[in-house]
Amino acid sequence: MLEFPFKFESCRNKKGQMKIQQMIFMIIAVIILFAMVGLFFLSTAFSSLRKSATTLAQEESMLLVSRLANSPEFSCGNAFGNSKTNCVDFDKVAGLKNHIGEYSDFWGVAKIEIRKIYPSGEKLCTEANYPNCEIFKILDKNVNTLPYSHNFISLCRKELNDKITYDKCELALLMIASEDRTNGN
Amino acid sequence: MGIKYKSAQEEMVGFAVIMVIIAVILLILISFLSRNEDKEVVESYEIESFIQTALQYTSDCENELEFFSLQGLIVACEEGKPCLDGKDSCLILNSTVEKLVENGWQTGEQSSIKGYNFKIITNDKTTLEFKKGNETRNYKSGFQGFAKSRDNYEVTLDIYT
Repeated sequence: MLEFPFKFESCRNKKGQMKIQQMIFMIIAVIILFAMVGLFFLSTAFSSLRKSATTLAQEESMLLVSRLANSPEFSCGNAFGNSKTNCVDFDKVAGLKNHIGEYSDFWGVAKIEIRKIYPSGEKLCTEANYPNCEIFKILDKNVNTLPYSHNFISLCRKELNDKITYDKCELALLMIASEDRTNGN
Repeated sequence: MGIKYKSAQEEMVGFAVIMVIIAVILLILISFLSRNEDKEVVESYEIESFIQTALQYTSDCENELEFFSLQGLIVACEEGKPCLDGKDSCLILNSTVEKLVENGWQTGEQSSIKGYNFKIITNDKTTLEFKKGNETRNYKSGFQGFAKSRDNYEVTLDIYT
Protein backbone atom coordinates (compact mmCIF):
# COMPACT_ATOMS: atom_id res chain seq x y z
CA MET A 1 0.00 0.00 0.00
CA LEU A 2 2.92 2.29 0.65
CA GLU A 3 4.32 1.63 -2.77
CA PHE A 4 1.74 3.67 -4.69
CA PRO A 5 3.07 7.22 -4.11
CA PHE A 6 6.66 5.99 -4.72
CA LYS A 7 5.70 4.36 -8.05
CA PHE A 8 3.89 7.56 -9.10
CA GLU A 9 6.99 9.61 -8.29
CA SER A 10 9.28 7.26 -10.31
CA CYS A 11 6.91 7.42 -13.29
CA ARG A 12 7.04 11.23 -13.22
CA ASN A 13 10.85 11.11 -12.98
CA LYS A 14 11.01 8.79 -16.00
CA LYS A 15 8.80 11.18 -18.01
CA GLY A 16 10.99 14.09 -17.02
CA GLN A 17 14.10 12.21 -18.06
CA MET A 18 12.49 11.45 -21.42
CA LYS A 19 11.68 15.14 -21.89
CA ILE A 20 15.27 16.09 -21.03
CA GLN A 21 16.58 13.46 -23.47
CA GLN A 22 14.24 14.75 -26.16
CA MET A 23 15.46 18.30 -25.56
CA ILE A 24 19.10 17.17 -25.66
CA PHE A 25 18.53 15.36 -28.97
CA MET A 26 16.76 18.41 -30.35
CA ILE A 27 19.59 20.73 -29.26
CA ILE A 28 22.19 18.37 -30.79
CA ALA A 29 20.20 18.23 -34.05
CA VAL A 30 19.92 22.02 -34.17
CA ILE A 31 23.65 22.41 -33.44
CA ILE A 32 24.52 19.92 -36.21
CA LEU A 33 22.20 21.77 -38.60
CA PHE A 34 23.78 25.14 -37.81
CA ALA A 35 27.28 23.62 -38.05
CA MET A 36 26.45 22.25 -41.49
CA VAL A 37 25.00 25.56 -42.61
CA GLY A 38 28.09 27.31 -41.24
CA LEU A 39 30.40 24.95 -43.11
CA PHE A 40 28.42 25.46 -46.31
CA PHE A 41 28.59 29.23 -45.83
CA LEU A 42 32.33 29.15 -45.19
CA SER A 43 33.06 26.98 -48.22
CA THR A 44 30.97 29.33 -50.38
CA ALA A 45 32.77 32.34 -48.95
CA PHE A 46 36.15 30.76 -49.68
CA SER A 47 35.18 29.82 -53.22
CA SER A 48 33.88 33.35 -53.87
CA LEU A 49 37.18 34.69 -52.50
CA ARG A 50 39.04 32.56 -55.04
CA LYS A 51 36.61 33.71 -57.75
CA SER A 52 37.16 37.37 -56.89
CA ALA A 53 40.93 36.84 -57.03
CA THR A 54 40.49 35.45 -60.54
CA THR A 55 38.14 38.30 -61.50
CA LEU A 56 40.65 40.85 -60.20
CA ALA A 57 43.43 39.27 -62.26
CA GLN A 58 41.19 39.38 -65.33
CA GLU A 59 40.19 43.00 -64.72
CA GLU A 60 43.82 43.92 -64.30
CA SER A 61 44.75 42.27 -67.59
CA MET A 62 41.79 44.01 -69.27
CA LEU A 63 43.19 47.38 -68.16
CA LEU A 64 46.61 46.24 -69.25
CA VAL A 65 45.32 45.58 -72.79
CA SER A 66 44.43 49.24 -73.21
CA ARG A 67 47.65 50.36 -71.54
CA LEU A 68 49.66 48.02 -73.73
CA ALA A 69 48.07 49.22 -76.98
CA ASN A 70 49.04 52.78 -76.12
CA SER A 71 52.52 52.00 -74.77
CA PRO A 72 55.61 53.16 -76.72
CA GLU A 73 56.50 49.55 -77.63
CA PHE A 74 53.18 49.03 -79.43
CA SER A 75 51.54 52.34 -80.29
CA CYS A 76 51.56 53.98 -83.70
CA GLY A 77 52.64 57.34 -82.31
CA ASN A 78 52.57 59.85 -85.14
CA ALA A 79 53.80 57.40 -87.79
CA PHE A 80 50.35 57.16 -89.38
CA GLY A 81 49.26 60.78 -89.45
CA ASN A 82 47.71 62.17 -86.30
CA SER A 83 48.08 60.36 -83.00
CA LYS A 84 45.49 57.59 -82.83
CA THR A 85 44.18 55.79 -79.77
CA ASN A 86 44.28 51.99 -79.65
CA CYS A 87 46.49 51.95 -82.71
CA VAL A 88 49.26 49.34 -82.83
CA ASP A 89 52.19 49.59 -85.23
CA PHE A 90 52.46 46.13 -86.79
CA ASP A 91 56.03 46.73 -88.04
CA LYS A 92 57.12 47.84 -84.58
CA VAL A 93 55.54 44.79 -82.96
CA ALA A 94 57.22 42.49 -85.51
CA GLY A 95 60.53 44.05 -84.48
CA LEU A 96 59.68 43.65 -80.81
CA LYS A 97 59.08 39.93 -81.31
CA ASN A 98 62.83 39.45 -81.95
CA HIS A 99 63.65 40.97 -78.55
CA ILE A 100 60.75 39.56 -76.56
CA GLY A 101 63.13 37.73 -74.20
CA GLU A 102 64.14 41.08 -72.73
CA TYR A 103 60.49 41.99 -72.16
CA SER A 104 59.13 38.64 -70.92
CA ASP A 105 58.58 39.86 -67.33
CA PHE A 106 58.08 43.52 -68.17
CA TRP A 107 54.28 43.46 -68.51
CA GLY A 108 53.64 40.69 -65.98
CA VAL A 109 51.50 38.60 -68.35
CA ALA A 110 51.94 35.10 -69.73
CA LYS A 111 50.59 35.57 -73.25
CA ILE A 112 50.28 38.45 -75.69
CA GLU A 113 48.70 37.87 -79.06
CA ILE A 114 47.30 39.93 -81.93
CA ARG A 115 44.48 38.44 -83.99
CA LYS A 116 43.18 40.15 -87.13
CA ILE A 117 39.39 40.45 -87.21
CA TYR A 118 39.04 41.73 -90.72
CA PRO A 119 40.45 40.37 -92.96
CA SER A 120 40.01 37.23 -90.87
CA GLY A 121 41.81 33.90 -90.98
CA GLU A 122 43.84 31.41 -88.99
CA LYS A 123 47.29 31.80 -90.55
CA LEU A 124 50.03 32.08 -87.92
CA CYS A 125 52.56 34.85 -88.59
CA THR A 126 56.16 33.96 -89.31
CA GLU A 127 59.02 35.97 -90.73
CA ALA A 128 58.33 34.36 -94.12
CA ASN A 129 54.63 35.26 -94.43
CA TYR A 130 54.58 38.63 -92.60
CA PRO A 131 52.34 40.69 -93.00
CA ASN A 132 50.00 38.35 -94.92
CA CYS A 133 48.92 36.41 -91.84
CA GLU A 134 46.25 36.75 -89.16
CA ILE A 135 47.57 35.50 -85.81
CA PHE A 136 50.67 37.10 -84.37
CA LYS A 137 51.96 35.55 -81.14
CA ILE A 138 54.17 38.07 -79.42
CA LEU A 139 54.71 36.35 -76.06
CA ASP A 140 53.90 32.83 -74.90
CA LYS A 141 55.35 31.57 -71.62
CA ASN A 142 53.78 28.09 -71.93
CA VAL A 143 52.08 28.15 -68.53
CA ASN A 144 48.47 27.70 -67.40
CA THR A 145 46.64 30.95 -68.04
CA LEU A 146 43.37 32.66 -67.19
CA PRO A 147 40.98 33.34 -70.09
CA TYR A 148 42.15 35.97 -72.57
CA SER A 149 41.26 39.61 -72.05
CA HIS A 150 40.98 41.54 -75.26
CA ASN A 151 40.25 44.87 -76.83
CA PHE A 152 39.87 46.08 -80.38
CA ILE A 153 42.86 47.76 -81.95
CA SER A 154 43.72 49.32 -85.24
CA LEU A 155 46.69 47.36 -86.62
CA CYS A 156 48.59 49.68 -88.92
CA ARG A 157 51.61 49.27 -91.18
CA LYS A 158 53.21 50.92 -94.18
CA GLU A 159 52.13 49.16 -97.36
CA LEU A 160 53.64 49.55 -100.78
CA ASN A 161 51.59 49.09 -103.91
CA ASP A 162 52.84 49.66 -107.45
CA LYS A 163 52.35 53.42 -107.18
CA ILE A 164 52.65 54.67 -103.63
CA THR A 165 53.49 53.83 -100.05
CA TYR A 166 50.37 54.22 -97.97
CA ASP A 167 49.12 53.59 -94.44
CA LYS A 168 47.19 50.34 -94.18
CA CYS A 169 45.16 49.89 -91.00
CA GLU A 170 43.22 46.72 -90.27
CA LEU A 171 40.84 45.74 -87.49
CA ALA A 172 42.36 43.41 -84.91
CA LEU A 173 42.14 42.22 -81.32
CA LEU A 174 44.95 42.61 -78.84
CA MET A 175 44.68 39.65 -76.48
CA ILE A 176 46.54 39.05 -73.25
CA ALA A 177 46.32 36.34 -70.61
CA SER A 178 47.74 36.32 -67.10
CA GLU A 179 49.20 33.27 -65.45
CA ASP A 180 46.66 31.22 -63.48
CA ARG A 181 48.11 31.04 -59.97
CA THR A 182 44.97 29.70 -58.31
CA ASN A 183 45.28 26.18 -59.76
CA GLY A 184 46.09 23.50 -57.24
CA ASN A 185 46.35 25.94 -54.30
CA MET B 1 -7.21 13.28 -23.50
CA GLY B 2 -7.18 17.10 -23.49
CA ILE B 3 -3.60 17.23 -22.19
CA LYS B 4 -2.50 14.68 -24.83
CA TYR B 5 -4.05 16.84 -27.63
CA LYS B 6 -2.39 19.97 -26.27
CA SER B 7 0.97 18.21 -26.17
CA ALA B 8 0.55 17.01 -29.78
CA GLN B 9 -0.41 20.53 -30.85
CA GLU B 10 2.69 21.93 -29.15
CA GLU B 11 4.87 19.36 -30.95
CA MET B 12 3.29 20.32 -34.28
CA VAL B 13 3.82 24.04 -33.64
CA GLY B 14 7.45 23.32 -32.73
CA PHE B 15 7.91 21.30 -35.92
CA ALA B 16 6.34 24.07 -38.01
CA VAL B 17 8.61 26.67 -36.38
CA ILE B 18 11.70 24.56 -37.15
CA MET B 19 10.54 24.09 -40.77
CA VAL B 20 10.05 27.85 -41.15
CA ILE B 21 13.53 28.53 -39.71
CA ILE B 22 15.12 25.98 -42.08
CA ALA B 23 13.19 27.43 -45.04
CA VAL B 24 14.37 30.96 -44.22
CA ILE B 25 17.98 29.77 -43.89
CA LEU B 26 17.74 27.92 -47.22
CA LEU B 27 16.23 30.98 -48.94
CA ILE B 28 19.05 33.18 -47.65
CA LEU B 29 21.61 30.65 -48.86
CA ILE B 30 20.00 30.33 -52.28
CA SER B 31 19.81 34.09 -52.74
CA PHE B 32 23.44 34.37 -51.64
CA LEU B 33 24.53 31.69 -54.11
CA SER B 34 22.50 32.97 -57.02
CA ARG B 35 23.96 36.46 -56.78
CA ASN B 36 25.22 37.12 -60.27
CA GLU B 37 28.85 38.15 -60.05
CA ASP B 38 29.74 37.15 -63.58
CA LYS B 39 31.35 39.54 -65.97
CA GLU B 40 29.08 41.10 -68.59
CA VAL B 41 29.23 39.41 -72.00
CA VAL B 42 29.95 42.69 -73.73
CA GLU B 43 31.23 45.84 -72.09
CA SER B 44 30.48 49.33 -73.39
CA TYR B 45 34.16 50.19 -73.65
CA GLU B 46 34.61 47.27 -76.09
CA ILE B 47 31.92 48.71 -78.36
CA GLU B 48 33.45 52.18 -78.09
CA SER B 49 36.89 50.89 -79.03
CA PHE B 50 35.39 48.82 -81.86
CA ILE B 51 33.83 51.95 -83.39
CA GLN B 52 36.99 53.95 -82.78
CA THR B 53 39.23 51.39 -84.47
CA ALA B 54 36.75 50.59 -87.25
CA LEU B 55 36.76 54.28 -88.21
CA GLN B 56 40.54 54.00 -88.71
CA TYR B 57 40.21 50.95 -90.99
CA THR B 58 41.75 51.51 -94.44
CA SER B 59 39.16 50.86 -97.13
CA ASP B 60 39.65 49.84 -100.77
CA CYS B 61 38.44 53.23 -101.96
CA GLU B 62 41.12 55.78 -102.81
CA ASN B 63 41.41 59.31 -104.10
CA GLU B 64 44.46 60.87 -105.75
CA LEU B 65 46.33 61.08 -102.48
CA GLU B 66 45.45 58.12 -100.26
CA PHE B 67 43.18 55.23 -99.47
CA PHE B 68 40.22 56.40 -97.43
CA SER B 69 39.80 55.32 -93.85
CA LEU B 70 36.25 54.33 -92.94
CA GLN B 71 35.79 57.80 -91.48
CA GLY B 72 37.01 59.37 -94.74
CA LEU B 73 34.74 57.05 -96.69
CA ILE B 74 31.70 58.14 -94.67
CA VAL B 75 32.49 61.76 -95.55
CA ALA B 76 33.17 60.90 -99.22
CA CYS B 77 29.84 59.08 -99.44
CA GLU B 78 27.99 61.99 -97.86
CA GLU B 79 29.65 64.44 -100.26
CA GLY B 80 28.92 62.16 -103.23
CA LYS B 81 32.57 61.71 -104.18
CA PRO B 82 33.34 58.50 -106.12
CA CYS B 83 36.52 56.43 -105.66
CA LEU B 84 39.44 56.94 -108.02
CA ASP B 85 38.52 53.78 -109.97
CA GLY B 86 35.01 55.14 -110.48
CA LYS B 87 33.29 52.91 -107.93
CA ASP B 88 30.52 54.40 -105.79
CA SER B 89 31.96 55.28 -102.38
CA CYS B 90 28.59 54.58 -100.70
CA LEU B 91 28.58 51.00 -102.04
CA ILE B 92 32.12 50.45 -100.75
CA LEU B 93 31.04 51.99 -97.42
CA ASN B 94 28.10 49.59 -97.13
CA SER B 95 30.15 46.49 -97.89
CA THR B 96 33.04 47.57 -95.65
CA VAL B 97 30.76 48.28 -92.68
CA GLU B 98 28.97 44.98 -93.19
CA LYS B 99 32.20 42.98 -93.19
CA LEU B 100 33.74 44.83 -90.25
CA VAL B 101 30.67 44.47 -88.00
CA GLU B 102 29.99 40.87 -89.04
CA ASN B 103 33.56 39.82 -88.27
CA GLY B 104 33.76 41.85 -85.07
CA TRP B 105 30.50 40.61 -83.51
CA GLN B 106 29.47 37.13 -84.47
CA THR B 107 25.80 36.49 -83.77
CA GLY B 108 23.80 33.30 -83.60
CA GLU B 109 21.98 30.83 -81.38
CA GLN B 110 25.24 29.46 -79.95
CA SER B 111 26.74 32.92 -79.46
CA SER B 112 26.03 35.12 -76.44
CA ILE B 113 25.52 38.00 -78.89
CA LYS B 114 22.00 37.82 -80.26
CA GLY B 115 22.11 40.75 -82.65
CA TYR B 116 23.38 44.24 -83.41
CA ASN B 117 22.39 47.52 -84.98
CA PHE B 118 25.02 49.75 -86.59
CA LYS B 119 24.02 53.28 -87.56
CA ILE B 120 25.64 56.25 -89.20
CA ILE B 121 23.77 59.46 -88.50
CA THR B 122 24.60 62.63 -90.43
CA ASN B 123 23.16 65.88 -89.10
CA ASP B 124 20.54 63.93 -87.08
CA LYS B 125 19.48 61.91 -90.13
CA THR B 126 20.22 58.19 -90.39
CA THR B 127 22.25 57.69 -93.55
CA LEU B 128 23.25 54.06 -93.08
CA GLU B 129 21.75 51.35 -90.92
CA PHE B 130 22.96 47.81 -90.72
CA LYS B 131 21.05 45.30 -88.57
CA LYS B 132 21.47 41.62 -87.91
CA GLY B 133 19.96 39.08 -85.51
CA ASN B 134 17.36 39.69 -82.83
CA GLU B 135 16.79 42.83 -80.80
CA THR B 136 16.58 41.93 -77.11
CA ARG B 137 15.92 44.03 -74.03
CA ASN B 138 19.45 43.47 -72.79
CA TYR B 139 21.89 45.54 -74.81
CA LYS B 140 25.00 47.73 -74.64
CA SER B 141 25.73 50.73 -76.83
CA GLY B 142 28.72 52.61 -78.08
CA PHE B 143 28.96 56.00 -79.74
CA GLN B 144 31.56 58.01 -81.62
CA GLY B 145 31.06 61.44 -83.13
CA PHE B 146 33.11 63.60 -85.47
CA ALA B 147 32.63 66.71 -87.59
CA LYS B 148 33.78 67.57 -91.08
CA SER B 149 32.92 70.56 -93.30
CA ARG B 150 30.05 71.78 -91.13
CA ASP B 151 28.50 68.30 -91.03
CA ASN B 152 28.15 66.34 -87.80
CA TYR B 153 28.54 62.60 -87.99
CA GLU B 154 27.56 60.08 -85.34
CA VAL B 155 28.37 56.40 -85.45
CA THR B 156 26.45 54.20 -83.02
CA LEU B 157 26.45 50.49 -82.38
CA ASP B 158 24.00 48.56 -80.19
CA ILE B 159 24.93 45.01 -79.26
CA TYR B 160 22.05 42.79 -78.07
CA THR B 161 22.89 39.94 -75.68
